[in-house]
Amino acid sequence: MSEALLDIKDLTIEFGSGSQPLRVVDNISFAVSLGETVGIVGESGSGKSMTALSVLRLVPEGARVSGQIIFEGRDLLKLPKREMPAIRGKEIGMIFQEPMSSLNPLMTIGDQIDEAIRLHEDIPAPERRKRVLALLRLVGMPDPENRLSAYPDQFSGGMRQRVMAAIAMACNPKLLIADEPTTALDVTIQAQVLAMMLDIRARFNSSILLITHDLGVVAEICERVVVMYAGRILEDADARSLFSNARHPYTQGLLRSVPTLNDTRKRLYQIPGSVPPAGTIKAGCPFRPRCSVRMERCAVEMPPLRTYDPGHRVACWATAEAAA
Amino acid sequence: MTDARLSDFPVDDLISREALADERGLGDVVRQVIFGRISTQVAFFVVVVFVVVAILAPWIAPYDPVRQSILQINKHPSWDHWLGTDQFGRDVLSRMIHGSRNSLIFGLLSPVFAAFFGTILGVSAGYFGGIVDRLISRIVDMLMAFPELLLAILIAAALGGSFWNIVVVLTVAFTPGFARVARASTLAVKQEPYVEAAVAAGVSTPLIIFRHIVPNIAAPIVVLMTLWSASSIRIEATLSFLGIGTQPPNPSWGNIIRDGLSNMFATQWPIVAGGLAITIVVLAISILGDSVRDVLDPETAR
Repeated sequence: MSEALLDIKDLTIEFGSGSQPLRVVDNISFAVSLGETVGIVGESGSGKSMTALSVLRLVPEGARVSGQIIFEGRDLLKLPKREMPAIRGKEIGMIFQEPMSSLNPLMTIGDQIDEAIRLHEDIPAPERRKRVLALLRLVGMPDPENRLSAYPDQFSGGMRQRVMAAIAMACNPKLLIADEPTTALDVTIQAQVLAMMLDIRARFNSSILLITHDLGVVAEICERVVVMYAGRILEDADARSLFSNARHPYTQGLLRSVPTLNDTRKRLYQIPGSVPPAGTIKAGCPFRPRCSVRMERCAVEMPPLRTYDPGHRVACWATAEAAA
Repeated sequence: MTDARLSDFPVDDLISREALADERGLGDVVRQVIFGRISTQVAFFVVVVFVVVAILAPWIAPYDPVRQSILQINKHPSWDHWLGTDQFGRDVLSRMIHGSRNSLIFGLLSPVFAAFFGTILGVSAGYFGGIVDRLISRIVDMLMAFPELLLAILIAAALGGSFWNIVVVLTVAFTPGFARVARASTLAVKQEPYVEAAVAAGVSTPLIIFRHIVPNIAAPIVVLMTLWSASSIRIEATLSFLGIGTQPPNPSWGNIIRDGLSNMFATQWPIVAGGLAITIVVLAISILGDSVRDVLDPETAR
């Protein structure tokens, strides 16, 4: 578990040029070990999706990505562009947020899964068909033999997300990136998709990098959680200690705003204010304007990520002072 | 919850029955087009009749369309010559039947070629963007600045009026329109998550274009193709009428009218026959084109 499959170091993503580029991801570092499920949590605009896209080098044109993304000892950012298709899908699979539109409406789902296999592996058609059926069965598609020739519009969102997962897992990738896989789905379907992801992890022993804004989803399946805010990592901890012992005021605020069944509060807690637009925070901690325990130092200097318990990193001056 | 397994869920319920009923294959589209409205059925029938006549022209034409006869000049319709004869004694019906070949071939061939080249240009411009887009788009803009007919006359006058020259003329005239539609559609489809998903699955650029983009922009191209088949027949007739299209003695509806015009006080039948044939076919193809658009466009789909 200790060996890092994916090691992101000092990743920075900037848009625009000139003297004031827009920095959407600011100098973040974290790792995903073999077989580990890591969740990246954050609000809209926190840079979590950009981080995920940058691993496959899919960030929109015009973005400048710096730092290192080391996957199995190779820095993906330094690979020639033409070598990326061999990694996408084969080594790293990806599930997108929009199951309703992430499948080609004019290709049968059988063909789309088959395409994903054929791209990366040279195996004869009957073998591929067997693999397609096995994948569909794995993701919980009932009666797969009769669904091969169906088109995406014949499926509901949850079913399409299963097909997406089958495509992502087609070549048994070592890492599966899921960008908000449950966001566009009904709550009941969300549970099914999460069950499917657990199932996938159990059978393939893949690492999963899960991007979400839903702490419930994180609690379900993640072993480790990275909390992002305005392009920075504020807290990075294993899931158990994050939920029982959150140290960053932002994480604490997030957890307090989750309603529980025996809630007696009249109003839900909310963190005052909203996420600052990218590029407006020039110095200091980006969370400072909304923080209840802010100090003078927070305005001047971004707190570094400091390790508290083993594997629990927090970037906050107040936390550091309290611990001292 | 963490122990939940897939088998716990009634997944079969997830497949939308409604969606299953809404499946539309190519056959369904064709059926919907043909059996839509009465007007469409008539239009389809008319087009089929003309196409069959054009294909069977050598066998069903009663006379040789270019054989002249000094004894049979300017005859009115009779049992021997259903549409009479022209000033050279040629049978007008036979000329009309053979002329339908030229007219229809141009009507169908040029839009197909134009769609082919236009799609290549438009998809390249839309997908690659940047300098490729700017270059292609400016050339297209330049060609579009000329009205189609003017451009056609220009090229026909420069190259002469042989069969392939006219096809080239009309293809060049129509390509910019297809290129524009293809570019705009490509820009839209390129943004679709399924294209991004395909990239993320490791699909190479050529495959992305041919399997994920081109099929998804086909609908507007097909509609444009049907609509321009009508224009194409009209423009071929115009060019032939002006004497730079199909060259005499080979018949085409346009030059039948041209020949008839100079002789209209002796016999009116060539003008009437040519004019009616062009009107009927162009109208029928336009109606069909409208139907195709209505069926393929979800906004107007019934």
